Amino acid sequence: MNDNASPDQFQDPDVSTTELDEVIHANKELYDKLNKLPEIEALEAIAIEEEEDHDKGHKPHPFLVSVEKLKDFYTENELIRYASWSILLILISTTALTMIEYDMFKESVSGQVGKTFIFGGDEPNWLDTFFHTFWWSIVTFTTVGYGDVSPVTHLGKFLTIIIMLLNFGVVTLLGGAVASVLVAKRLTGDDTLDESKFNGHLVIAGWNSYVPSILKLIDANLDATDIIILVNETDRDIIQRATTGYERLDIHHIPENFTHESVLRKAFLEKAGTFMILPDNSGLLPHEEPDEDKTVLTCLTAKSISESCNVIAHVLDTETVSHLERANANEIVIPDDHVPHLLAKHVTDPGVPQFFDNLILQEEKDKGLQEVKIPRSLNKQSHNKISAFYKFKYNWLLVGYAIRKAGFSLDDQMGESGSPLIRSMIKEQLEGAGVNLTSDEHVVVEINPPDDYKVDEKHSALVLR
Amino acid sequence: MNPTAEQIQKINHFSKVPKGMCEKIASVVEIQECQPKDQLLTEGDTGDTMVLVFQGQVEVSKNMMVKTASGITTSRKPIIRLETTDPPPASDPITEPTVFVVEAPAFGIGEFSLVLDDAIRTAHVHAMTPVKYGILTLEDFSNIVKDNPEIGGSVYFEVAKSAVQNLATASGDISNLTQAFFFALTR
Repeated sequence: MNDNASPDQFQDPDVSTTELDEVIHANKELYDKLNKLPEIEALEAIAIEEEEDHDKGHKPHPFLVSVEKLKDFYTENELIRYASWSILLILISTTALTMIEYDMFKESVSGQVGKTFIFGGDEPNWLDTFFHTFWWSIVTFTTVGYGDVSPVTHLGKFLTIIIMLLNFGVVTLLGGAVASVLVAKRLTGDDTLDESKFNGHLVIAGWNSYVPSILKLIDANLDATDIIILVNETDRDIIQRATTGYERLDIHHIPENFTHESVLRKAFLEKAGTFMILPDNSGLLPHEEPDEDKTVLTCLTAKSISESCNVIAHVLDTETVSHLERANANEIVIPDDHVPHLLAKHVTDPGVPQFFDNLILQEEKDKGLQEVKIPRSLNKQSHNKISAFYKFKYNWLLVGYAIRKAGFSLDDQMGESGSPLIRSMIKEQLEGAGVNLTSDEHVVVEINPPDDYKVDEKHSALVLR
Repeated sequence: MNPTAEQIQKINHFSKVPKGMCEKIASVVEIQECQPKDQLLTEGDTGDTMVLVFQGQVEVSKNMMVKTASGITTSRKPIIRLETTDPPPASDPITEPTVFVVEAPAFGIGEFSLVLDDAIRTAHVHAMTPVKYGILTLEDFSNIVKDNPEIGGSVYFEVAKSAVQNLATASGDISNLTQAFFFALTR
């Protein structure tokens, strides 16, 4: 059947209303007859009984369900627990003081409230007195202590001492609970990211002064992903200040430790296009160096979540590079790696460093060096044709290609050589030891190739726009 | 009971040997029978006999060091099964094959014993069905070759062919193991 067919296509226009009525009527008669069969009646009776039994036997009373829910809520929620104790203490103290110091509170109501009693008309009745005592209780409980009314009898004062001492503990606990709720909320942060919109996004673990520049460059490139998740423990206000003002980017922040697998999973790492790990300055003093071991650990964790995850790691210490290579990082960026070259070029070719400055540092929107996909129709064409295409169609200068090389596969490499037993043993043992038989895809660059250089679907163009 | 010259000729190594010569070989071989699970050759043993299998299925296996959950242990890994087609085995094998089954009218195993004194057996061979086989000793074969040098050429050519094939496989294995070794080191 054609799934795309519209509902109208299934309706036969030749069926008349009379015919339809006849069909309905005939079926009704058939159902009526069936329902009168003793077997059907017996089955219905059993079904009704079972339903009743089920309702009686398993479904608890709605009141009990509510009590149970309330009980769970009370046990799990610290703030509610201490608030309940506070209310109970206020009510107990109000009731006790109303009984012990009734005359005093009644006189105080008359003296302070005047003739506008809510419940008693001209004279304050017990409800007015109770409300006034409740007022005293709240004033005492919140440690405000106006002093407009206070117990006068020894018994009243003695009870007040007990209430005040109890109150001291309860207020402390309640304050602590409020603070912990606020802290927990702050720590948990943007915890409810909508998974559906995260696919092929960029996750940046760690925070340092480079991040705003990285974000600015990504924002300027319209082809790059616009969804970014930052994972670091830097103060939220700093992150908010640094991540506002981007036109295109939709930036989220997870203020947690990015070395934890659970945290990376919150950033939907398995669906991320790129995972960038940067030296993390979160919580460090200006003279402190970031811990590079965290970068290696995070790379290992990321690869354990998703072997195909494209990890770009930035390290300050070159000794970390070998560890990151072992951790299977796809790209490792070493700062100042190019500085000697740039310095030398200032002597030999002074224009070259200036060119790089203009090209990389002052990248504007849709300007500068960018990687673009080559149209499929240009596949298998030579470099000079593709170069002409970009020049005349967009006035872009094609400077080279980024080529995605497939990873090395031990299985493919072994092929059919040697004995099948040894091949299967090698695979079995390496897989058993957790060694993946294929290495990741990697990118190589071909700059200014000869004119007859052939381009395939693994190539993308590096153009100067 | 001795096999017939036709039975000897069905074995690849003797396929080019004239029938009259095969009769001479057949006269020094006695047909024996063994039951499933019986061991025909043991890895590491030395021997100067070639086993000629006329009917049945055998499994060739090697002892391998493997890493299991309980640590590193030596386990017997099947490499290949050999089965006669003329006549086929008298019954189904005791276990289903987990490796490739090579079929031939009849076949010989331990052929290097026809060249080397005390050749070391490189694998275990045991029966998977009832097997009818014969033993050809190096001494008997050498005596026949001494009297009839023309046999030697064709038989030793076949032995050399399997030696070359084994060498090519071993070379592939070394290459695979070297690659796997470097691959494991760089991960």
